[in-house]
Amino acid sequence: MTVRDAVRNISWYLKEVSGESDYDRWVAHRREHHPGDPVMSRRDYECRRMDDRDSNPRARCC
Amino acid sequence: MEGATARKGMSARSIAIWIAVGLVGAFAWGVIALARGEQISAAWLIIAALGTYAIAYRFYARFIVTKVLRADDTRATPAERLDNATDFQPTDRRVLFGHHFAAIAGAGPLVGPVLAAQFGYLPGTIWIVVGAVLAGCVQDMVTLFFSMRRDGKSLGQMARDEIGPVGGVAALLAVFSIMIILLAVLALVVVQALADSPWGTFSIAMTIPIAFLMGFYLRVLRPGRVLETTAIGVTLLILAIVLGGYVDGNPTLAEYFTLSPNALVLAIVIYGFSASVLPVWMLLAPRDYLSTFMKIGTIVLLAVGILITLPVMQNPAISKFATWEGGPVFAGSFYPFVFITIACGALSGFHSLIASGTTPKMIEKESQVRTIGYGAMMMESFVAVMAMIAASIIDPGLYFAMNIPGSVLGGTVQTASEAVNGFGFQISPQELQSAADSVGEETLVARTGGAPTLALGISQIFSGFLGGSALQAFWYHFAIMFEALFILTTVDAGTRVARFMLQDTLGNVWKPLGRTSWKPGAWGISAVVVAAWGYFLWVGVNDPLGGVNQLFPVFGISNQLLAAVALTVAVTILIKTGRTKYAWVPGIPLAFDVVNTLSASWQKIFSDNPKQGFFAQSNAFQGLVDKGTVKAPAKSIEDMQQIVTNSFVDGVLVVIFATLIILVLGDAMRVWVRALRGDEGIAVAESEYVESKIVAPSGLIATSEEKAAMANGGHGDRELVGTGGRDGEDDGSERRG
Repeated sequence: MTVRDAVRNISWYLKEVSGESDYDRWVAHRREHHPGDPVMSRRDYECRRMDDRDSNPRARCC
Repeated sequence: MEGATARKGMSARSIAIWIAVGLVGAFAWGVIALARGEQISAAWLIIAALGTYAIAYRFYARFIVTKVLRADDTRATPAERLDNATDFQPTDRRVLFGHHFAAIAGAGPLVGPVLAAQFGYLPGTIWIVVGAVLAGCVQDMVTLFFSMRRDGKSLGQMARDEIGPVGGVAALLAVFSIMIILLAVLALVVVQALADSPWGTFSIAMTIPIAFLMGFYLRVLRPGRVLETTAIGVTLLILAIVLGGYVDGNPTLAEYFTLSPNALVLAIVIYGFSASVLPVWMLLAPRDYLSTFMKIGTIVLLAVGILITLPVMQNPAISKFATWEGGPVFAGSFYPFVFITIACGALSGFHSLIASGTTPKMIEKESQVRTIGYGAMMMESFVAVMAMIAASIIDPGLYFAMNIPGSVLGGTVQTASEAVNGFGFQISPQELQSAADSVGEETLVARTGGAPTLALGISQIFSGFLGGSALQAFWYHFAIMFEALFILTTVDAGTRVARFMLQDTLGNVWKPLGRTSWKPGAWGISAVVVAAWGYFLWVGVNDPLGGVNQLFPVFGISNQLLAAVALTVAVTILIKTGRTKYAWVPGIPLAFDVVNTLSASWQKIFSDNPKQGFFAQSNAFQGLVDKGTVKAPAKSIEDMQQIVTNSFVDGVLVVIFATLIILVLGDAMRVWVRALRGDEGIAVAESEYVESKIVAPSGLIATSEEKAAMANGGHGDRELVGTGGRDGEDDGSERRG
């Protein structure tokens, strides 16, 4: 594994874990399962996702 | 197919490797156990723990996955069947491991071991390591698995479906009450760490504007750019810690940030309420990013620090307080309170809420419960071992001067030194003062709650390889910040979760209360939840007997009660599905947990010794109040009356917890008997079988067979580049061939 690979792997992992790549995955999902439907912009998507957490809080453990 | 990597027999090479791992681990345990009277290196604890984890993960966890749970990788998981790219979505096992670990790891594994260090490091360490592999990891993994087989149902729902309404209601009550006690105890830890500490208070106060800034940035300027937002936040956070040093050095500013414990209680209560009613994007979510980053970062740094500096244990393996009388740090005898005090890190019932929440909806392959459920808990157990090490490399005299309640130690270094000497440990007033000076604190006397002790241990380790003694004060406040930050994140998330639980329940009585968007309802219920934990927090801060001393055992009992519920559900499902011969897997930890928790409850309820039994304590002080006498540590009749009330309330709580355990277990046993008799109408609420189309590895690291399988038409997974995964160039030929 070269240094470049390592950087790519780490950045892939961080984006996945932090949820930064969720939008891209969601867009891909929409395109595959609901072709032709309008796709939310990133801004709308992120706002909606955050607002969903308002009513679905996740517990953090002790 | 049973288990993804099940192969017939092991190669001679791997047999040799595993025998070597076993021998090294056993040797390390031998060194720890037999080194009487001489100080040993912390490295032995690390080796013993890692050896045990490796063997348990390789053999026991695999046995459970293949034989007991019968994980089936041809069966589609809920993530695959119900994929909606929001809550249900197949997630890479390594990513999900990160999510799950971040959700289960909190302050618990850091605080419990510090308190239990009063018995010496050995009893706690054995329980942390052995308890994790036989009980805690098993609980997390089987709960995760059974919830996954039920489309991600919560623990409460599973208890209702598999046991019955009584078990279900008891489980719900258990979850709610543990939430309240947990929030109070954790907030108490923060108050103890920040009281009269302008440096710490300033840095923590700064996290609120930093979070607002991050929230605004993420919402308005750069939607979804979590990583750069977190990077900005962490930079500002470090700056806040550095600035805290200047605040501490400036008398005017320092006075402004020197808060009394009661003022801090008020601040935390107001904060908890605001965080519960404000939109999450403003405060809660950005703080969650910050605290997760700090948590993982500090844990990694601590592991590296211990391995580089290899500190020597100052604490004895077994101290003189490992008796029926117990020690001065928290009330309770050696048995069973070692097992109650260290909950998180060995067996934590709270994890079953996480394992039956979001994680089961995201698993790609059934057999991955081993990596995610069992593996993440092993990691948390390792964090607890490191906390035990951090508390044990401190001089025992200093440890007791920091952890015995202030009412026993008195207010000055002189009185504290005398009191500690009275317990048979040596520390001079000068040494106490210079220890406080070295970390930039006014005093370290009676800084109970575990956080300051851990921060001191961490600051010793970090300054040992990063910056030397010049940076010790910085590292101390860095560690305080890291603990307070994620405790407060647990407090705000927990308040919100408890609010929704209560709204959900009360909505059955009066509809509008169930609507989470109805502002008066949300505000009112939030106030009720905050008042509930705020009461225990206030009581804890003002308890003449010491809040941590009194409340921590209650918290431990409630956490172990939840573990009993989770393990009971697991045993019930195994019996109902005809796997009674394997019911011992969750059954033994269940029996152990119930015996410990009930005997702890028994002592707390029925003991005649006022140091142990809450009611004996309440009655003894009531008797003195009637005569008008004031007995230390109380200073006035009001103090005396406060002890009478507090001890009575704590006693009632323990009675409720013990009753709940007996109810759940009794109701479950009724179901066990019916199932064993082969009664009709025993239903199992499992989702139906659908064939899986995803190809994904089972363990953390893909085997060569799995990589080949993924290359041949696998999709949905991404192996790391440069390691022969499907993005790598070297497997292109396999795909073509």
